[in-house]
Amino acid sequence: METFTFEFPATKRLQGRAHVGVVGSGDLEILLEPSTEPRTRVVIRTGCTGFQEKWRLVLERFLTANDVAADIQVNDFGATPGVVTLRLAQALEVSQGR
Amino acid sequence: MKHRESFVELDARERARAVLDEGTFREILGPFDRMESPHLEPQGIVPQSDDGVVVARGKIGGVFAVVISIEGKFQGGGIGEVAGAKIAGALELALKDNENGVSTRPVLLFDTGGVRLQEANYGLLSIAEIQAAIVALRRHVPVVGVIPGKIGSFGGMSITAGLLSALIMTREGRLGLNGPEVIEQEAGIEEFDSADRQLIWNTIGGAQRVATGFADELAADDVTAIAEAIRAVFARGVRETPRSAQVELYRSLLKAVDPAQPLHTEIFREIWQQRQGAGKKASGKAAEPDRGNAPPSRGRTWFQMLTVGCEPIAGDVPSVRCADATLGGERVRYIAVVPDPDSRFPRARQGEVGLEEGWAIAEYIRQAMEADQAGERRAIAAIVDVPSQAYGYREELLGIHLACAAAVDAYATARELGHPVITLVVGHAISGAFLSHGMQANRILALDDEGVHVHVMSKQSAARITRRSVAELEEATKKVPAMAYDIRSFATLGALHELIGGVNADTPGDEDRALVQDKIAEAIKSTRFAPRDLHVRLSSEAASRGGRTASIQVRRMLAEQWR
Repeated sequence: METFTFEFPATKRLQGRAHVGVVGSGDLEILLEPSTEPRTRVVIRTGCTGFQEKWRLVLERFLTANDVAADIQVNDFGATPGVVTLRLAQALEVSQGR
Repeated sequence: MKHRESFVELDARERARAVLDEGTFREILGPFDRMESPHLEPQGIVPQSDDGVVVARGKIGGVFAVVISIEGKFQGGGIGEVAGAKIAGALELALKDNENGVSTRPVLLFDTGGVRLQEANYGLLSIAEIQAAIVALRRHVPVVGVIPGKIGSFGGMSITAGLLSALIMTREGRLGLNGPEVIEQEAGIEEFDSADRQLIWNTIGGAQRVATGFADELAADDVTAIAEAIRAVFARGVRETPRSAQVELYRSLLKAVDPAQPLHTEIFREIWQQRQGAGKKASGKAAEPDRGNAPPSRGRTWFQMLTVGCEPIAGDVPSVRCADATLGGERVRYIAVVPDPDSRFPRARQGEVGLEEGWAIAEYIRQAMEADQAGERRAIAAIVDVPSQAYGYREELLGIHLACAAAVDAYATARELGHPVITLVVGHAISGAFLSHGMQANRILALDDEGVHVHVMSKQSAARITRRSVAELEEATKKVPAMAYDIRSFATLGALHELIGGVNADTPGDEDRALVQDKIAEAIKSTRFAPRDLHVRLSSEAASRGGRTASIQVRRMLAEQWR
């Protein structure tokens, strides 16, 4: 198991919070909460070690397209980058009440 | 035609929402409370923010309800300390409400392999507390269970399912004490072929369970159908005699089966149909109480020591010994499970708790409950030396989970009625066997001896299933005392009333007996005028000193958010 944290600059405030996903095989759980600071902090715990750089790239890409100041907790059980991106998008949707 | 919406495909949270009246769902102790398991990260396992259990308040049929939904995708729905405390705590709050005249309808949505092996004895303790709460709650309100699939309900949680007022299953649901893989591993492929899917579904699948009286209703995998089935149970009201209390019916069923003959799943359906119609009086010959050729066991040794000079109570299951003795002015009914090399059921010859054992324990306890109806309630003492539950095909087909539930039900009901129930662990206290025989006691005593073990699975099996070597498993036990096998580690969890030192456990003498008798007498005394639930296990010094920190915190937070 590995734990790491990333921070990205952000400007727009998030409206609500959201919880999506399950820490089950090939999936992950995301807890998304608004932050009052102009940044997004992502804390990741994953059972698959050695993919820190991949995580950074996936998150960077998503957060460049979606500017939100948030605290994000990720509990991962071997999700692929595609699943991670889908879950992030879902979390964002849920937080906007959609 | 109405559009069907699959219930099985929903996650735990969506399932809970689906069975509550529309718009009433309110989760308590949810993901943002971040009450996750404190025991997984130290073992290198990523935890989940709700520990795999969703507790939701709301209404069912316009009445207050609590729905407890297990997420099968997280750690196989395994019950660890937090998950277990959420279930037990929610049921305890529902019990309190119902006792105070606030009707609250409890529903359990199962999807679990049983105890989470990485938290071992925490799971065991929690499941005993869940079961205690259900037995107490069932008198006030039906406690309804659903086993939708895909995992089903196994291990200690199959015993829990056996205690419920009503059980709804789909064809995808499975209910059994031991999973097919575990049986094949413990008893060999000739006993049960875990690759034979047809056999598995015909043995423990929802359709077979409903056809043979182990579940009440086979529902379609449809959200509306399941929600309606739940409402119908509540509309019917409290069940007079729950399944796990129907001792005569199920004992007569077992007697109608010849375990020496092959038993096809279809044949068993027929036997069940006939039994239901027949008189429920048990037939069959009474066996010798002790055939004299049995191997020595600590359970037998201590049973004989503590009941010397007392007439054993006649019964037809030689592996369950029972006798009444007097101790310091108290009447005590001692019950022990011992090896019987001639048992009709070959998988239960080494002292395991099997089909006959579970139901026989229940009968001996219920006899005492009935006989003492008008007067002082005698103490009941379980002498525990049980290597495991019985692993076998016939065991699953004939509902060993229910036999275990019958014993749990009897001990818990006796305790609730005011019989002091005392457990004395003299040897192994393992898994479903210990849940059935010992875990429902007001007070648990254990000999402080290297041969005294408490656990949920043999080291070899636990290592295989959690994909670790035995050495790695032993390393993990240093971080999580709940995974250790020795009785001193178990004592740190706070459930023991006393660890009795200085006793020769294998060949006790008169002094050893006198000491243990004193301890039992003291334990009995301590229960008179004390609460009859299991709360003492959480308020003990060891529990509050760190043995059950998360269990206590979960209950406190649930109570704060309950209304």
